[in-house]
Amino acid sequence: MIDIEHELANLAEVPPAHLERVTVLAVDAGDQVAMKSSVHGPLWISWSKRGITGLTPTFVDETVDAFIEHHRRAGYDVETLPSALDHDIETALASGVAEGLSFDLRGLSSFQVSVLEACQTIPCGSAQSYGWIASQLGKPGATRAVGTALAKNPIPLLIPCHRVVRSDGSVGSYAFGSDMKRELLVEEGVLLPGM
Amino acid sequence: MFGPWFRNFSIDCNETIPQPVLLGMNLNAPSTDREIKQALVTHRDAGFTMLVVRFQPGIYSGARRLTHGHEDAEEVAQETFLRAYRALGGYDDRRISNLKLSGWLWTIAINLCRDRASGRRRPIAIDTRLAASGADAPPIDAAAWNERLARLSTDQRTAVVLRHVADLSIADISEIVGRPQGTVRADISRGLDHLRDVLAREETP
Repeated sequence: MIDIEHELANLAEVPPAHLERVTVLAVDAGDQVAMKSSVHGPLWISWSKRGITGLTPTFVDETVDAFIEHHRRAGYDVETLPSALDHDIETALASGVAEGLSFDLRGLSSFQVSVLEACQTIPCGSAQSYGWIASQLGKPGATRAVGTALAKNPIPLLIPCHRVVRSDGSVGSYAFGSDMKRELLVEEGVLLPGM
Repeated sequence: MFGPWFRNFSIDCNETIPQPVLLGMNLNAPSTDREIKQALVTHRDAGFTMLVVRFQPGIYSGARRLTHGHEDAEEVAQETFLRAYRALGGYDDRRISNLKLSGWLWTIAINLCRDRASGRRRPIAIDTRLAASGADAPPIDAAAWNERLARLSTDQRTAVVLRHVADLSIADISEIVGRPQGTVRADISRGLDHLRDVLAREETP
């Protein structure tokens, strides 16, 4: 005789693999993730319906799983970026101007967003100090907090936190190393006293 | 699928970066109701993803037994969470904290199952997949169970599936289906009796 209750309890079926992804992406609660080649080497890019949410070089996160694990939102690996997004990122990285790109900074504090927005006003070929950003926000004493916010920039290179340097003219720290920050500034034609 | 949203970058001021609310939260690991509700309050999108990871497989499994096939079950399992997400937008923190997650989701799912069960009278799809029943036990014939459950009344089938497939309490089922607990108990008891009769007839040569 079949044990009815036992069999019913074991009727669980694993849903199709795509179901979670489709559900989360449908309400824009998660991002798609793909690798993109660039002048800075291969990059992981994540994006939502609203815009780019993350960028990390593959030398920092070697696998897509590592990138997704560190990402602030749920992420789902897809084959490639949409061609228009790929083109716009390519253009922005080559020119140092992120025109036409939308950034989705949901999940960050309003202060972090303000810092990153101020950072985006620094034109390619120039640099500003942490104190300058703090002053732009009307909080001249918040230099340290600005440094913290920039260190958490989820979209480096495209949101140019590398253009924010120490007030003594030295390049200061960078998520991907001071050498890379120095190289980025030199490529953009910035010469600092500390360089 | 989820984790800390930043690394421990060294920064100029040598400050310790504050810990994010969800630091170390791994969506692949089972989350408790409390963790999910906390996340829904502080980071709704992250909490929603945790909700989907935790409850969608169960909703799908139950919907497989209460609708006409895997397409219906997929639709129910997706639409349930889309409706839940929209509803969350109108809930304040207190209401979210007081949610009984499983019962709330199943209330939505049961209505969707009923719509599909009554709206489209297509035959139950032949399901040749066998559910795993444990390492040593023989596989369970899911298709046969679909056919057996289809012989019950809608109320009995719903109660039996919610109790024995979805593992919900009598109290939760009572709230979900809007029927008294005694009635739910009777539905389950009569449903199981009916299934025993069906099985006895199957075993009679």
